[in-house]
Amino acid sequence: MAEVASLRPLAAVLVSALAIVPILLARDRPNVREGITMVAALAKFGIVASMVPGVLAGEVYVTRLGTLATGIEATLRADTLGLLFGLLASFLWIVTSLYSVGYMRGLDEHGQTRYFASFAASLAAAVGVAFASNLLTLFVFYELLTVATYPLVTHDETDEARAAGRKYLAYTFGGGVAVLAGSVLVFWLTGTTAFAPGGIEGLANADPVYARTAFVLLAGGFGVKAALMPVHSWLPDAMVAPTPVSGLLHAVAVVKSGVFGIARVVLDVFGPETVGDLGMGLPLAVVAAITLLTASLIALRKDNLKRRLAYSTVSQLSYIVLGLALLGDEALVGGLLHIPAHAFMKLTLFFCAGAIHVETHTDDISNMAGIGARMPLTMAAFGVASLGMAGIPLVAGFVSKWYLLIGALDVGAAVFAVALLISGVLNVAYFWPVVYQAFFETPDDHDRKPLVSGPMGGRFAGAGAVPDGGKGEAGADGPDPVEADAAAEAGGPDAGTVGRPATDETTDGTAAGDERTGTADRAEQSDDHADEHAHHGGPPAGGWESRNWLGAESTWFMLGPILTAMAGSLALGIAPRLFVFLRIVQEIVAGLAGVAG
Amino acid sequence: MSESYAVLLVAVPILGSIVPLAGSLWHDRLGWPVAVGVSLAHLALAAGLAVEVFAAGTVVYELGGFEPPFGIVLVVDGISALVALLVGVVSAGVLAYARRAGPRGNSFYSLYLLLLAGLSGMTVTGDAFNLYVFLEITGLAAYALVATGDHGGAAVAALKYLIIGTVGASLYLLGVGYAFVATGTLNMADLAEKLAAVGYTSPLVLASFALVTVGFAVKVALFPLHTWQPDAYAEAPISVSVLISALVSTVAAYALARLVLSVYTVEFFAAVPTARTMLVGAAAISVVAGSVLAVSQTDIQRMLAYSSVSQFGLIVAAVGIANRAALVGAVVHLVGHAVMKGGLFATAGVVERTTGARSVDEYAGLAERAPLAAGCFAVLALAMVGVPPAVGFVGKWYIVVGAVEAQRWAVAAVLVVSTLLTLAYFARLVERMYFTEPAVDVGEPAGGVPTVPDGGRSVSTGMVAVVVAATVLAATLGFAASGIEALLEPTLAALGVI
Amino acid sequence: MTAVVDLLLTRYNYVAVVLLLGIGVYMIGASENLVKKVIGMNVFQTGIFLFFMTSAFVTGGHVPIIKEGVERYVSPLPHVLILTAIVVGVSLTAVALALIVRIYAEYGTLQEDVLREIQTDE
Repeated sequence: MAEVASLRPLAAVLVSALAIVPILLARDRPNVREGITMVAALAKFGIVASMVPGVLAGEVYVTRLGTLATGIEATLRADTLGLLFGLLASFLWIVTSLYSVGYMRGLDEHGQTRYFASFAASLAAAVGVAFASNLLTLFVFYELLTVATYPLVTHDETDEARAAGRKYLAYTFGGGVAVLAGSVLVFWLTGTTAFAPGGIEGLANADPVYARTAFVLLAGGFGVKAALMPVHSWLPDAMVAPTPVSGLLHAVAVVKSGVFGIARVVLDVFGPETVGDLGMGLPLAVVAAITLLTASLIALRKDNLKRRLAYSTVSQLSYIVLGLALLGDEALVGGLLHIPAHAFMKLTLFFCAGAIHVETHTDDISNMAGIGARMPLTMAAFGVASLGMAGIPLVAGFVSKWYLLIGALDVGAAVFAVALLISGVLNVAYFWPVVYQAFFETPDDHDRKPLVSGPMGGRFAGAGAVPDGGKGEAGADGPDPVEADAAAEAGGPDAGTVGRPATDETTDGTAAGDERTGTADRAEQSDDHADEHAHHGGPPAGGWESRNWLGAESTWFMLGPILTAMAGSLALGIAPRLFVFLRIVQEIVAGLAGVAG
Repeated sequence: MSESYAVLLVAVPILGSIVPLAGSLWHDRLGWPVAVGVSLAHLALAAGLAVEVFAAGTVVYELGGFEPPFGIVLVVDGISALVALLVGVVSAGVLAYARRAGPRGNSFYSLYLLLLAGLSGMTVTGDAFNLYVFLEITGLAAYALVATGDHGGAAVAALKYLIIGTVGASLYLLGVGYAFVATGTLNMADLAEKLAAVGYTSPLVLASFALVTVGFAVKVALFPLHTWQPDAYAEAPISVSVLISALVSTVAAYALARLVLSVYTVEFFAAVPTARTMLVGAAAISVVAGSVLAVSQTDIQRMLAYSSVSQFGLIVAAVGIANRAALVGAVVHLVGHAVMKGGLFATAGVVERTTGARSVDEYAGLAERAPLAAGCFAVLALAMVGVPPAVGFVGKWYIVVGAVEAQRWAVAAVLVVSTLLTLAYFARLVERMYFTEPAVDVGEPAGGVPTVPDGGRSVSTGMVAVVVAATVLAATLGFAASGIEALLEPTLAALGVI
Repeated sequence: MTAVVDLLLTRYNYVAVVLLLGIGVYMIGASENLVKKVIGMNVFQTGIFLFFMTSAFVTGGHVPIIKEGVERYVSPLPHVLILTAIVVGVSLTAVALALIVRIYAEYGTLQEDVLREIQTDE
């Protein structure tokens, strides 16, 4: 691996950081402001992409910035793993910027300058995370990413958004603290924190108790942003943010920075071999497997589309972590490849949810029957992406899940393969109804979808009139303290979501337009929620109007990004080898010295 | 020549402090220009001294030509040179701030210069009793400065500060007495040798260590000896709050480190591990208690005062750990905290003058009303929380590395978690400033705008410049940490620190 | 018993130091009157001064002025130190009293509890 001194890694970070200033200055001229964002996004992607051929040829671009503290260098280093994340984040920023323009203007949001500035800052931090050459530098950008995304989470300035922001800060800074402690331990054990493919040398021989502690702290700390259970609950709450934020940051940049951190820890700090020797692979894999199954189950019972997507994200992120934790070649390829695969698919899904919100102000799945007529292209893209999520061939998700499955069997961990398959079925269960009812049902005539609506573990008698509370599905997975906590913390809005299905029950067979009047019987559980959405949401009185397939449903600012992201997930699925990500991933795995299996 | 920089560092401000008062006979607007002249001269001396120390090693000046250990010496090594420079820079900055922010009048500037002299003296002295004298000069000036607040509460706060501070200084004096009885000397270098000869476990030595640390714990304001601090910081005029929050506790913490390292030395800790454990334990408690108290405050200045209790816990813990990384961290955090806390008080002053807000709730929606001040406050607060790469993080990193190297796990845990504790009281402010609508009618503070005699609500360029400079320094000073580490290398080696 | 008597007879200075320190701290802590607090502060400091003085004492020592045929002198250094400390103490008392005058002018009381009430009412 040849190191090449180059300013390109630094430029990739700085280009969006420096864009903040003109963005703030152009606050009274939205077109200029968004133009700057686009230029910065294109420049950023150009710089990152320009490093791809070199890195694939075995070069590593390095920018040295001097010493940070205790002799640890502040160095940016574009190696294969970093490039994977950097390329992904910077490419999707272009798409998301376009979409943001459509979304923010479509909703006439306040504080757009702050929004675009924070977005640029977040991307600078995310690419910094990608190119950091050691744990300390990574930590610097990791924390800056938290700070930069906080204004985006709290963007709405409602009580709900503020609470979500507080939770976000508490969780991610808590994770940051663990990362800090783990980094100090690694530094103390080895005298360095610099990433080395296959692991830092001294760690293999270090006292296993300290090494394990360091691993738990690091994996646990990064696990907060990777939304591993039981520290995932900030992510669903953070869905109060505008949808492009949920899309790019809470499905790609921020959460993937956590996953990326775990990847760095497993691959470049400890090395797969040492992780295996320490016996830390299996516990991590178990946590990931539990998370991916539990989150899928929880997703089933979310009626709010964005929340359902959030739990889907929690679940899918654990695929990646599982791939890393299995420590085999194929599983690593699958896990790492799932980073871009999931990014493209989930971005598509979020963009669709956002488009539906902007155009029809509908947030709840139970109000989306027949919406395929109103938004055909959007829902078609949604359908393609959800097929990919479930792992159907020809879409990106298939390739990575295939590798994951093979990898799980390869290392003799059939139980994880079963978990992956079950989760695939659950994916179908929670995505298919959305697509099906959008195209093949109408608001007046739709049956209830398999939505688990009673609180898991049952409800105390008299707490509320939920007719289907006693159904088998609710009891099937038993009490779930994590979810109960999450529901309790989420307070009003979540209670509202749970209460929704009751709405369907009462409005079934009546005109959908009447839906808003029949609220009395559930007022006590979803008061604020009902108020919030009293003026919009759901199909209009006469059912969804029909729009053509040529983009009449929305602006091209939004449709373009949706279709681009969807095309990306198809491209990744149909021709993974032509697309650069698989090659990068294989380079990464090939570059690891002494991978087990 | 350069040895005399050390004595001039003290003599120039002391002599200068007479001028404004004496000059009042002729001119009542003399204070500021005199103070600026003296302060700049002081800054130049401190800079010259630092250059000299880092080029050629420790500078020693024998007062009046009396040879040590009989005469008083001034000793400037790497740590004291940095602290002297810090004193010079911050006090010069405060002048730029105080010109508009007040208090005005020649007596303020006399006290200001007296405080400068006391702080410089504490920094450079190499004699234990001399340290007491400078400690009291600093104290007297600080008490009087707090009392310049035009509210009656300022006098009450100043008296409280005076009584508690005097008890603290007296305890230090008593500790020096015990050391003197044990060794018959007051020169720090000489004390170090003779204390070792007496034996570190001798009751006299132990008692003197205990008294000295408790005395300075009062001056540094460690929990539970911090009670003077919130009142003093909250009631003093804002310029004074900036000055004393940035420097007085800082120099006291420096002096404590000086005594621990140069008088009792690292070997004392090795011989008496209990002493170290108690010092570090008290510091750790201070970190937690200070944060908890800060969270419960509604007044911004009080909250910042309790934040100091917590932050100085970090520094004293590092002094107790006393290995290389921890001490570099202590110095970095000492400098960083001075910049950040001084900057926060300065920003709070700007906010109060422009919007009248001084409580946590009144900060709601501040980003709309005072965008620059809100931005600076947010950056400084995040730096204090320890968001990298700001200086607050770098200092903490060094201290935590030191704690882990010393394998003091409990302290390391407290230090790491202190990030979250600090976040607890600053995050709510940031949230209020940016994401909350202002509550009803906070535009006009009740009872009109208090403060300054000539009623100005205006904010001068100097004030804004100080706030912005502090913000920029807080954000960028972290990158100087490696340089500071390299500069301190010889000093720490000479102190026997591993 | 004899130990106590012995202590009182030979180390009475130290007993006095401890008493003065104790009385001083008690006055600072327990008295509500600000002036009495300041007096307590002075008593406390006096205890410390006495401690230093005692440490200078040498049995059979002479006044430290060099004289023919005198071998033993008491140590002059603590005297010098305490002279300085007394000056510091006087300045502190002066500042404290000045503050008290101002407090009285402002609030019309010297009782700390009353003062606290007034301040909370404000």
